Amino acid sequence: MDPPLINETSFSAANPSSYTLTEIWPFPPPPPSSTRLGLRMDNLADPDGSLEESTLTDQSSGNGTRIRKTRDFSSEKDDSSKMVSTTTSANDLNDSNGKRRKISGSRSENNDSRAETEASSAANNKTAEQSSKPSEPPKQDYIHVRARRGQATDSHSLAERARREKISERMNILQDLVPGCNKVIGKALVLDEIINYIQSLQCQVEFLSMKLEAVNSRMNTSPTTEYLHPKDLGAQPFVATGTISGPQPTREYVQGSQSEWLHMQVGGSFERATPSKKKSPEVTSASGLQGKPFTERGAFKSATQKSCSGSGSAELICKGRSNNPIRVQSKRNGGIEIMAVAERVGRVEIGK
Amino acid sequence: MASKHVIATRHTKSIKNRFASRFLRSLLRMKRSDRFGGSRSNEGVRKRSTHRIKMAAYASMARAVGPSRTWSRALLFKLRNRARIQGVLRKRCLVSKKNKKKRVVRNKVIISREPSRTDTLRKLVPGGDSMDICCLLEETAHYIKCLATQVKVMQSIADQSLL
Repeated sequence: MDPPLINETSFSAANPSSYTLTEIWPFPPPPPSSTRLGLRMDNLADPDGSLEESTLTDQSSGNGTRIRKTRDFSSEKDDSSKMVSTTTSANDLNDSNGKRRKISGSRSENNDSRAETEASSAANNKTAEQSSKPSEPPKQDYIHVRARRGQATDSHSLAERARREKISERMNILQDLVPGCNKVIGKALVLDEIINYIQSLQCQVEFLSMKLEAVNSRMNTSPTTEYLHPKDLGAQPFVATGTISGPQPTREYVQGSQSEWLHMQVGGSFERATPSKKKSPEVTSASGLQGKPFTERGAFKSATQKSCSGSGSAELICKGRSNNPIRVQSKRNGGIEIMAVAERVGRVEIGK
Repeated sequence: MASKHVIATRHTKSIKNRFASRFLRSLLRMKRSDRFGGSRSNEGVRKRSTHRIKMAAYASMARAVGPSRTWSRALLFKLRNRARIQGVLRKRCLVSKKNKKKRVVRNKVIISREPSRTDTLRKLVPGGDSMDICCLLEETAHYIKCLATQVKVMQSIADQSLL
């Protein structure tokens, strides 16, 4: 079958109008009776190869017969398909675009002849369009990912590559976040590690809430250790002690902590811890020795503003009533401190 | 990262501080309501209050993060509509006792495949069902950060109060 193909390629390269006609040929059922076309089909489909040397003069001479043409139709399927594919390959030889050539080449390797003809003809049409539009806009303009050498330049593959890079970047971030995840290789294992870590964190939250619940309930049962909310014991015990301590007519009782913010400070509060420790003995002695509520004016005011300013002012962590001395800051967990800063909201005057 | 931490120490509005203040406030509120309810040391009550504390921790974390993140938005939405969702579920359970056989048949039609790791991650991260993989990983990173902060803060609170 080779010789006619070669002939056809040479021919189509020579005469472009004719190959477009042959390309149209298989689709409309009977071609308009153009003798020239019929003859051409005859030439190609002839198994004997008697008319191998088909030239332009041969085509234009026009000696076609009806019988031969009908016989052509019977054997048209495979032959025409081959012919069209050859024409496409011929066209691609002329075409400068390498990708098109690759696609059409791969398609022409298909076994199915019908699909092959269609596909190749479609490719042919595209190439025709390309030739009509010489400056095709490059596709990678709007995707900022550049293809390296040997990578596909298709828009889909570019987008896919961008997505993959994004995912791997995120995975790297996650690997940095999750401890012990750097040594793990493989996306699946990394995901496993991440899942385990999240689960462990959630379990920790569960456990800590259990712990806090226990603390809360213990505080509820034993009022002496209650310092998370001194407001509760603020009202009654103070009044009680005030009345017990006897008649001291004009005295202002400042409630140690009417409302209380607990706020966090991270690191570097060791210097600030010292003045409060200095201050705490006074308060404890005042309340502990006399058994009376202490008076103190405006000492707590500055404590709340300190959180914004960060400058060292006395921080009092106040228990409302202090049997054990004031419970303050311990540096743990890398300097995280939770401080209960007493805010003096109101003062209670107990008079006669 | 290190510089960020240094800033966070001075910055009162950092997520850690916001979370801590919110969480402690909600703890206080919870305790106050507990006190008025009376002290009961029942097992079920304890479990429930544990659950409440846990939910308060999650909620305060989500509030501290704000609605800028998908996971916090999903969490807040879930918390806000928890009562309604549970009511709907309960009602559906009551209704569906009659239709149980039908539902079983319907469930068989659904092809169940092995849940992949991504699906597990989607279940873990709140609101992860409706995310693509890129978003999911990003949200996971942020969620892990916040969860670690939450654990740290809760740990320190528990240590403080146990002293």
